[in-house]
Amino acid sequence: MPDRVIVTGMGVINAIAEDVPSFSNALQAGQCGITSDGPSNDHPNYDGLGICARIPEFVFTERLAKLNLSDDIVLRARRAAARQPRSVQVSLLTALEAWNSAGMSAANYSPDDISIILAGHNISPADQFSTFQKYQEQPEYISARYALQFLDTNHIGVISEVLGLQGEGFSLGAASASGNMGILQAHRQISLGVSKVCVLVAAMADLSPVEVQAFRQTGAMGGKRFCDEPEQACRPFDEDREGFIYGQGAACMILESAELASARDAPHWGEIAAAAACLDANRLSDPSVEGETRAMRKALVQAGINPSDVDYINAHATSSVLGDQVEIDALGETFGSELSKIWINASKGLFGHCLYASGLVEAAASLIQMKECFLHPNRNLNRPISSSCQFVGHESQEVLCKVALSNAFGFGGINTAVVLRR
Amino acid sequence: MSSKAEIFEIIKTNLLELLPDLDPTKVVPEESMKNLGANSIDRADVIIQTMETLSLKFPLHELGKLTNIQGLVDDFHARCMSK
Repeated sequence: MPDRVIVTGMGVINAIAEDVPSFSNALQAGQCGITSDGPSNDHPNYDGLGICARIPEFVFTERLAKLNLSDDIVLRARRAAARQPRSVQVSLLTALEAWNSAGMSAANYSPDDISIILAGHNISPADQFSTFQKYQEQPEYISARYALQFLDTNHIGVISEVLGLQGEGFSLGAASASGNMGILQAHRQISLGVSKVCVLVAAMADLSPVEVQAFRQTGAMGGKRFCDEPEQACRPFDEDREGFIYGQGAACMILESAELASARDAPHWGEIAAAAACLDANRLSDPSVEGETRAMRKALVQAGINPSDVDYINAHATSSVLGDQVEIDALGETFGSELSKIWINASKGLFGHCLYASGLVEAAASLIQMKECFLHPNRNLNRPISSSCQFVGHESQEVLCKVALSNAFGFGGINTAVVLRR
Repeated sequence: MSSKAEIFEIIKTNLLELLPDLDPTKVVPEESMKNLGANSIDRADVIIQTMETLSLKFPLHELGKLTNIQGLVDDFHARCMSK
């Protein structure tokens, strides 16, 4: 009998949050973390990130001190992460917050009961960009540690060392669906009994100006019309949307066997009732109504629920002209007449598109909202593209939601959907 | 032109940067970086960073067997002299 999987700890860092409590406050307030780093980013030689939702600068040791960890873990974290790239420090901080809040240090698991999955790939082109510049000038001075640090699996090495994890460990990639794919694989590991606990971390996408420019070249990135009002730029489901806004964010979830979590009286955020994925057999970035519908239906069937059982949908909705419309159509196919009774919001409007991490950051947002009985606003939704959806308005809504669906769709026809239950 | 004392300070600074928990009073010329807790990657990076500070360029394998920091200081100093 496959074991049920619950979330016992969470950690989040993004443009509007340095931890779960501040994330909850920011969601409740509908705070927007999207800013601009200078003049119009349409200039061909513009070498910045433009309009995006940045993780504010921080001092690693100061953030560590705030987390109330044991001296032993703080020491290991400082040793392991002092000279690591920013993306690794961010991943580690979210893992430490989650580990701590789940009470894992006091739990009686043996090190090889606990696995780690790092969701995300091509994590830090920013590091490669600056290293390449150095290589062009002075190749003799390229650091030796870059040989370890350019690998995405470096996150696995650092986090497993600090937390003493000896179960299975690997990184996985599914483009913008990586976060949900991480939930799927962690759920699979635990329900099959391969691991008792999984530390699932979704890494921030630390892009260089090269990737940002390439995204601009595709026409998929927003921020042109609203270049002087960055907080207006990300408008999921709105008639005036023009493209996605890049966001920096990372999250960690501790997923555990429900039976074992209950036995140790662990904290309880909610259950991963289902996680489903499917492809479109398409190498391009265009989304598919059929593929998205198939993923959502698969998830509902796996969870053993009907469309009418869903209270809330955390949409993928990136503020993409095509993507948002396709998702509305797919929601229509999946839920039919039930759709108008289900609340919908789009978290990317508040903290941008966290790319690989978006699925996990938004699943965390969903569990927070379900626990605290509110739904965050759709702040820039002035002219909705659908009149048959029940969108949350400009203010937070008090609602009790027991079942939620969270979508994530990635380039290359990757569709995923997760069902969360409290 | 860097003296041996100056070179030692550069190495010490680089080592402490890579090992933030190291007690600075323990970093003395008679000690080896390995004994102080520097792994092979840390040791390579201390050497590379020191090379860069001193504007020296040479293949790492030329350093051969060094038993302690004093050996490293002596080697760097000789290279500075012959630049």
